[in-house]
Amino acid sequence: MDGSRNHVIRTLETVKRWGRLNSPWALHFNTGSCNGCDIEILATLTPRYDVERFGIKLQGSPRHADVLLCTGPVTRQAHDRLLRIYAQMHEPKYVVAIGSCALSGGVFADCYNTLGGIDQVIPVDAYIPGCPPRPEAIIDGIVKLLSSLQPVELQMEKETV
Amino acid sequence: MMGTILPVLASLLLFPGGLTVFLTGMAYEWMNRKLLARFQTRVGPRWFQPLADVIKLLAKEEVVPEDVHPGLFTALPVVALAGCLTAALYVPLWGVGPLYNFPGDLIVTLFLLSLLTLCLGIAGANTFDRFSLVGATRAFTQLFSYEAPFLLALLGPAFVAGSWQIDEIMASGAARWVILTQPIGFIVAVIGLIGKLELPPFDAPEAETEIVAGSLTEYSGRGLALFHMGKIIELVLGITLIAALYLGGLYSPLDFLIKTIALLIVIVILEALFARLRIDQSVGLWWRYGTLLVLLQWLGTIFWKGVAI
Repeated sequence: MDGSRNHVIRTLETVKRWGRLNSPWALHFNTGSCNGCDIEILATLTPRYDVERFGIKLQGSPRHADVLLCTGPVTRQAHDRLLRIYAQMHEPKYVVAIGSCALSGGVFADCYNTLGGIDQVIPVDAYIPGCPPRPEAIIDGIVKLLSSLQPVELQMEKETV
Repeated sequence: MMGTILPVLASLLLFPGGLTVFLTGMAYEWMNRKLLARFQTRVGPRWFQPLADVIKLLAKEEVVPEDVHPGLFTALPVVALAGCLTAALYVPLWGVGPLYNFPGDLIVTLFLLSLLTLCLGIAGANTFDRFSLVGATRAFTQLFSYEAPFLLALLGPAFVAGSWQIDEIMASGAARWVILTQPIGFIVAVIGLIGKLELPPFDAPEAETEIVAGSLTEYSGRGLALFHMGKIIELVLGITLIAALYLGGLYSPLDFLIKTIALLIVIVILEALFARLRIDQSVGLWWRYGTLLVLLQWLGTIFWKGVAI
C-alpha cells in the first residue's frame, strides 16, 4: 500500500518537474545596470535566438514568472523593489544574475550607493558572467539552471526528512 | 440503468466532450503559436509546449492577494472554464455532430462563450490592482463592442436557414456554402472571433507592453491555468462554429480538420500582419463598420428572401 502510494507521488513529481523544465517563464528586472545586459536580454528574445524553442516566454507580471532575470549591481534605491518583486513571485522561483555587475558589483563594487551583487539581497540560482554576456551565454545559463534542478529522488528524501 | 449512464459519461468526459476538447484546444494553440513563429521566421515552440505550460501552472503555488473577494477569486476561473466546456457540447466538434441539440442552441452557445470574457472582466475588477482594473475596463469595452456584430454575423446563416439550431443551419448550408451568399457576415464573424479571443490586433485588454497582463495580472498557478485553458478551448469552439455555419458544415473528422485549420491559418495571418489597435479604434471599427455592414447585409438578405418567396 505504502509502496504504491510512493510510486504515484514519484510519478506526479516527475510530471511536475517535466512541466517546470519545459516552460520557464521569465521576468526581467534591472536593479541598476548600465543597460548593456538589458539590451543583450532583449536580443535573446528576438526571433534570431528564438527562446520560445525552449518554452521561455517573457512575462510582465511577477505572479506569472518562474525565473527572475536580474541585471546590474543592487543600488540602494532598487534594493526594496527587488525584494518586493522577489516576494511577489510564486513558488517555485529561480533567480538568474546576468552580467559582471550582478555577480559581484563589477566596476561599481565599492560605490557608496550600491550593495554589491544580487546575492547580497536575494538567493541566486545561476550566475552568468560577461560584460555584457552574449545571448548564447544567457540561453546556456538558463538551460544549465533548469538541468540542474534537483532530481526527483533527492527532493523526496528531503521532504521525508 | 448503468447501460445508459456509461455511454453518456464517456461522451461527456472522453469523446467528444472533456478530454478531447482539452487536447484539441492544446493542439490548436500549438498550431497557432507555431504558425505565428514561422511567419516571424522563428523556429517556434515544441509540440508539447501547451501541455508543459498547463502542467507547470497547475503545479505552481497559488496566492490569493489581499483586498480581493477570495470566493470570487477562486470561483471565476472555474466558471469560465465550465462555460467553455458546456458550450463544447452544442458545437459539432471533430465533425461528429453536436452532442446535444435543441431549438435555439446557437444563442445559448454564443452566450456560454461570452461567459469567459465576462469572468475575465469581473476577475480584473475584483483585484485591487491598477493594471487589472484597466484590463477589466478594456475587456468589458471590447465585450460590448464585438458582441453585437459577432452575434448578428452568426445569426445571418440562421436567418437564411429559418432555424436557431446549429445542426439544422449546417444542413441547410451544406449544398450552397453561406460564405458565398454572405461574405460580409463571414469577414465580420472572423474579426469578431479575433476580438473575442483577445488575439492581436485586438489584444488591448491584455496588452503586455502597456498593462502587464490585463485582468489576469494577479492570477497565478491554478487560476491562470484554468483561464488559459478556457481561452484555448474558446479558440477551437469559435473556429468550429464559424466553419459549421459559413463553410458548409462539418460532417467528418477530415472535413473538420481541413476547414478549421484553413480558418486558423487566416486568423494567424491577420494576427501576424497587424499591430495592436487602441481600444477606441477597435470599438470604432466594430460599431462604425462591422455592425453597419452586417446590418446592410441583413437588409439585402431580407429583400432577397422576400423576392425568392
